[in-house]
Amino acid sequence: MKNKLRILAEQVLVALNILIVFLLIFTGKLAVPFWLQPIGRMHPLILHFPIVLLMLAVAMDIYRAANRNINSSTLYNNFSGFLLLSGALLTGITVIMGLFLSREEGYEGDTLSWHKWTGASVFFLASLIYFIRNKAWYKTPATWISAGLVALTLMATGHYGAVLTHGEDFIMQPVYANIQKPSVPVEQAIVYEHIVHPILEKKCTSCHNPNKLKGELALTDSMALAKGGKTGKLFVPGNPDISLLLERVHLPLEEKKHMPPDGKPQLTKEEIMLLTLWIREDAKFSQKLIDLPEDDSLRIVATAVLKPETNEEKYDFSPADEKTVAKLNNDYRTIAPVAKGSPALDVSIYNRDVYSTKQLDELGEIKKQVVSVNLNKLPVKDADLKSVSQFENLRRLDLNFTDVTEKGLDALTFLKHLHTLTLSGTKLSFNGLKEKVATLKNLKTLYVWNTGLTPGEIAQLKKDYKGISFIEGFKDDGKDTLKLNPPQVKNSEMVFASTTPVQLFHPVRGVEIRFTLDGTEPDSIHSPVFDNTTVIDKRTTVKAKAFKNGWYSSDVITFDFLRNSFVPDSAVLLKPLNSVHLAEGAKTFFNKKLGAIGANNPAWANFWAGVRNNDMDLVALFYKPITISSFGLHYMLEETTGIYPPELVEIWGGENESKLKLLATIKPPLPEKGGKPSLETLETLFKPQIVSHLKIIVKPHVEKERRFLVLVDEMFLN
Amino acid sequence: MGKEIIEHGFTWNRRRFLSAMSLGVGSVALGSLLMPDLFKSGGIEDEAFTPGIPHFAPKAKRVIYLFQNGAPSQQELFDYKPKLREMNGQEIPPSVRGNQRLTGMTANQASFPLVGSFVDFKQYGNSRAWVSDLMPYTAKVVDDLCIVRSMYTEAINHDPALTFLQTGSQQGNRPSMGSWLSYGLGNENKNLPAFTVLLSRGIGNGQGVYSKLWSNGFLDSVHQGVQFSKGEDPVLYLKDPDGMSRKDRREMLDNLSELNELSYKEFGDPEIATRIRQYEMAYRMQTAVPEVMDLSKEPDDIVKLYGPDCLVPGTFAANCLLARKLSENGVRFVQLYHQGWDQHGNLPFEIAKQAKDVDQASAALVTDLKQRGLLDETLVIWGGEFGRTSYTQGKLTADNYGRDHHPRCFSIWMAGGGIKSGIVYGETDELGYNIARDPVHVHDFQATVLNQLGLDHEKLIFKHLGRRYRLTDVSGKVIKDLIA
Repeated sequence: MKNKLRILAEQVLVALNILIVFLLIFTGKLAVPFWLQPIGRMHPLILHFPIVLLMLAVAMDIYRAANRNINSSTLYNNFSGFLLLSGALLTGITVIMGLFLSREEGYEGDTLSWHKWTGASVFFLASLIYFIRNKAWYKTPATWISAGLVALTLMATGHYGAVLTHGEDFIMQPVYANIQKPSVPVEQAIVYEHIVHPILEKKCTSCHNPNKLKGELALTDSMALAKGGKTGKLFVPGNPDISLLLERVHLPLEEKKHMPPDGKPQLTKEEIMLLTLWIREDAKFSQKLIDLPEDDSLRIVATAVLKPETNEEKYDFSPADEKTVAKLNNDYRTIAPVAKGSPALDVSIYNRDVYSTKQLDELGEIKKQVVSVNLNKLPVKDADLKSVSQFENLRRLDLNFTDVTEKGLDALTFLKHLHTLTLSGTKLSFNGLKEKVATLKNLKTLYVWNTGLTPGEIAQLKKDYKGISFIEGFKDDGKDTLKLNPPQVKNSEMVFASTTPVQLFHPVRGVEIRFTLDGTEPDSIHSPVFDNTTVIDKRTTVKAKAFKNGWYSSDVITFDFLRNSFVPDSAVLLKPLNSVHLAEGAKTFFNKKLGAIGANNPAWANFWAGVRNNDMDLVALFYKPITISSFGLHYMLEETTGIYPPELVEIWGGENESKLKLLATIKPPLPEKGGKPSLETLETLFKPQIVSHLKIIVKPHVEKERRFLVLVDEMFLN
Repeated sequence: MGKEIIEHGFTWNRRRFLSAMSLGVGSVALGSLLMPDLFKSGGIEDEAFTPGIPHFAPKAKRVIYLFQNGAPSQQELFDYKPKLREMNGQEIPPSVRGNQRLTGMTANQASFPLVGSFVDFKQYGNSRAWVSDLMPYTAKVVDDLCIVRSMYTEAINHDPALTFLQTGSQQGNRPSMGSWLSYGLGNENKNLPAFTVLLSRGIGNGQGVYSKLWSNGFLDSVHQGVQFSKGEDPVLYLKDPDGMSRKDRREMLDNLSELNELSYKEFGDPEIATRIRQYEMAYRMQTAVPEVMDLSKEPDDIVKLYGPDCLVPGTFAANCLLARKLSENGVRFVQLYHQGWDQHGNLPFEIAKQAKDVDQASAALVTDLKQRGLLDETLVIWGGEFGRTSYTQGKLTADNYGRDHHPRCFSIWMAGGGIKSGIVYGETDELGYNIARDPVHVHDFQATVLNQLGLDHEKLIFKHLGRRYRLTDVSGKVIKDLIA
C-alpha cells in the first residue's frame, strides 16, 4: 500500500515535470480562467512549505552522507526520501500557481523572469535529486553539490519573489531611511527631482515600476510618469481636481481603487499636498524651487521639507554657569535659556530710559552662549553694535525702531551664525546697505519694512541676494480707501444746566469735523468746520461728520445735548419701580446719566428707571420756588420687546401739595409695529409758573389687560 | 528514560546553573535595550519641571488669542457649504443629526430646516482657501493663516465651552491657558505682567466674559491675567494718588517690603513672597503701562492698516493694536475677548456687522507682526468656543434666520508661531454638521499650542490637592500636521 502510494506520487512528479516544461514554453499563451485565479493567488501562501521541506530533505541527505551507520538505516533513508518527494511535489504545485499568478495584470519585467526561471530550476533540481539519490554513485561530494545547488536556487528564487511583493530594498529600507541623505541645498533643488520623485519612490514604486507594472503604470521616472497607465494620463497639468493620480489618493481607504492600497503605507497629508501643488503648478519636471515666487505655497511647503530638521538646533558650546545667568538678570534685562538643558541663552532688554551699552557689555561672561538679542525700540546707535559683536554665536538680532543705520552693520560681519536681522523702522539707505548685506554671510532673513527703502530698491536687493528673504510689509499706496469713523464727543455729560461747550474730537490725525446745530445733514462745503468754540444754551441736536483727504468721509453722527435748569432739592417716588429697573430711584431722573439700548450695556442695567404694573408718581420739591415753562422726558422704545412710551404724562405744580394744578400733559405717539428700538425726548411748553412742589405722573401703556414697560432715565425742567 | 532524566537532573551543578542563569539575565538585558522606557514608569518626579524654562526649544515665544466670544458661525465665515444652499429649507436628514444633544433653545423646535449661507464665498491666495465675502481683509492674508475647520468641543453652552477652551475644564477653578504659559515660560519683560486681557464688544448678541476665565486657579497668583481696560486708567489702581511722588511711593514700597519679608520669614507663606513681587512689578508697570497704552505715536500707515477704529479705545481694532504692542514688549499671552457672536436670530444682519468689526484689524495684526519679524515667534489664534448649527433656529424667512449652538464642529485660524501657513486643515461633511476628516479636539488644540511654546502638555503639571493637573487634563495629542 505504502509503496503504491509512493509510486503514484513519483508518477505525478514526472507528470508535473512534463506539464511545467510545457507551461514554461507556452507561458505567453496561457489564459487563466477567473475561477482558477484564486489558485494562482495562493502562490505566496503555499511557497513556504516546499522551501522548508526541501531544505530539510537535503540537510538529511548531507547528514546521511556524513554518518555511515545512519546510511544503513532504512527508516532514515525512507523518511528523507519522503520529505524530498513531497517537497518536490509541492514545489511543482507552487510553480504552477506562480505561473498562473504571473499571468495576472501587473507582473512583468526582469525580476519576474528571474523569479520564474530560478523557481522552475528548484523544481527540476529537486525532482532530479529525488530520482538519483539512491544510485550507487551518488556519494558524499554529489550530495554536497546538490544540496548546495538547491539552497542557492531557493535563495535566489525567494529573493526575486520578495522583490516582487515587497519591492527593492525592503529589508534595508529602515537603515537607508535613517542614513542622512546628502540634503540638497534649497537653492539647487528641483521640484520634481527632489520633492515629487522621492514621494513616489517611497510610497508608489514598489508596485509601479518597470518590473511590476501594476495597472501598466510605472512611476520611476519622468517619462513613465507623463505617459500614465492603463486608465489613462495621471494628471492634467494645472488642474489637480480632475487628475487621476489625486483622485485615486483621495478615494476612501476601503475603496478598491484607493492608492496606495489598504495595508500599504499611506501618503501623508503633506505628501498629498505637495503632489497637489505640483500638479496645480503645471507639473513641471525641471522647475527650480527658488524660481517660484516667494509666497508660493509649493515653495513654502517644499522648502520646509528640504530643510534639515531644525527642531532642536545643536549648539557646540558649553552652558554658562547658572548663577552667573541669575546674577546678570535684572528688571530691565531678561536672560533665559532657550530650553531646559540647552546651553543657548536669549537676551531681551526693555525700557528706553534705562538703556545703555553697559547692559550689553556686562554680558561678557556669557557672550558665547547668547544666541538672540532683542533691542527693539531702544535708542541703540551704530556704535553700540560693537558691543553686540562679542556674541559670537548670535543667531538672531532684533533692532526694529532703533537708531542704527546700515553703517552699524560692519560690526556684525564677525557674527558668522547670524541668520535673522530685523531692521524695520530704522533709517537705512540703499547704497550702503547693498554692499553690507554681502558681508553677512549666513544671513537668511532681513526685515526692512518702514525703513525708507523704496519698493524698487527692495526688489533690487531681492534680485541680488536670492538666498535672503527681504521682508517688507504694509505701505499705504492709496489704493484701499477707507471710510473714516464718525467724530466723538468728549463732554462727560450730555445734560447741562445753563450753557455747555460742544467738545467734538476725532482720533485720527488731520481730520476735519464739520457740523450743524439745526438738525440738517452736515456737508463739506456749507457746514462750519468744528474749532472748539461752539457753546450752546438750549436743547440742541448736533450733527457732525469727519472729512480727510485720502479717506471717505464718515457717517453722520448725532449728539443730543439736553438742558435741565433745575435739580430738585428733594425727590421721592410714591409708587415702587419695577424690580429690575430700579436705577437710582427718584434720583435717577436728575442725575444726568443717560441710558442706552441693548441689555448687555451697563447703561441699560443701571440708568433706566421703569414701571409696568403701576404709575410712576414722582414728587419733586424745591426749597426756593422756581419759574418753569417746560417739561420734558427722555425714554426708550423697543416695540418688539414691549418697551413702550407712556400712555400719558401729567405734570402738576404749585406752591405746596394742596395747591397743585395740572400744568400740562404729554401723550406720546405709539410706536410702529416691528419698528427699530430708539431713544426719544418729548418736551411740552406751558405758561411760565412759579412752583416749589411738582408732581409728575407717568402712566404705562395698557392694551387689553397687557401692561407695557416704560423706561425713563432723565427729566428736564426748564 | 525516566531514569535518564533524573540522572540528567543530578548533573546540573551550581556552576552550570549559574552560567545558564547569567545567560538568561543577559538575554533580559538584551531585550531591555529595546525598551527605553522600561524603568521610567511613574517617573514624572524625575524630570521635575522648572517653572519658567520650556521643555524644548520653542517655536513661539508669545501668544495673542483673539477670542471671538459667542461662537461665530462657521457657515458664514470659513466653512463653505454650497450644499446647504441647494438644500435650503429642507429638513436635516436624521442620519446626519444622529443623537446630537440640542440646547433648550431649539430642542422643542418642530422642524430643523437646513439653511444656506446668505453670503458668498471665494477662493483666495496660493492656498485657494475659501473665505466668505464678510472677511475681505482676512482673505488677503489667507496665505499666512492655517485655517482649521474641524475643531470640536464637549460643551454646548457658552460659559462651559469658553471655560473648557481656556482652562481645559468646563467647571472652572483651573488656571487659564495664559496662566499656564506664565507658569511655564515666566515673564519675558519683568515690567509687564506675562498674561494680559483686553475686552471689546460688537453690536451682535453678546455673552458675558468673567474674570474666572483669566484666573490663575491653583497656580501662584502672579500668573493671573491682568485686565487692561479702556480709558484713563487702563490698569485699575495702578496710578499713584494725586500728590504722591514717585520717590514717596518707592520709600513706602521699601518699608512695606521689609515688613512683608519679616512675616514671610515667620510664616513661610508663598503668597507673601508673591505679594512682594507684585508690588514691585506694579511699581515698574507705572512707567511701562502708559508707554504701551499710548497709541498716539502710531504712524499713519498703521492707522490705515488696522482701520481708524484702532484709535478708539475699547474697540476690537484698538485692542488688536494694543495686543501687538504688548506682545512686542514681551507679554507672553495677550487674551482678547470680542463679544457679540451669538447669532441665534437675525444672523445675516448681526454677523455682517460683527465681521466688519474684526476683519480688518485681525488681518492687520498678522501683517503687522510679520513686518516686524514677530510673526515667527508669536502665535495668533482667532476663533470662538463652538460652532453653529446648519439648521435654522427660529423661523426661516427669505432673508433672515438664526443658528443655534453646535459643538460638533467649528472653524478657527492660527497664524505664525511655527504653525504651517497657507493651509486648510480638516473638513466637515457637505452639510457642515459633522467632521469628515482630521478632527481636532479642544485638548488637541491646547496640546498643540503648548507644543509650539516649547512645552510638553503631558509634563506641564501642577500638583494640587493630591492630584497632578494639566491644561489638557488626561488627554490631548499634538497635531503634528499643523506644525511647520
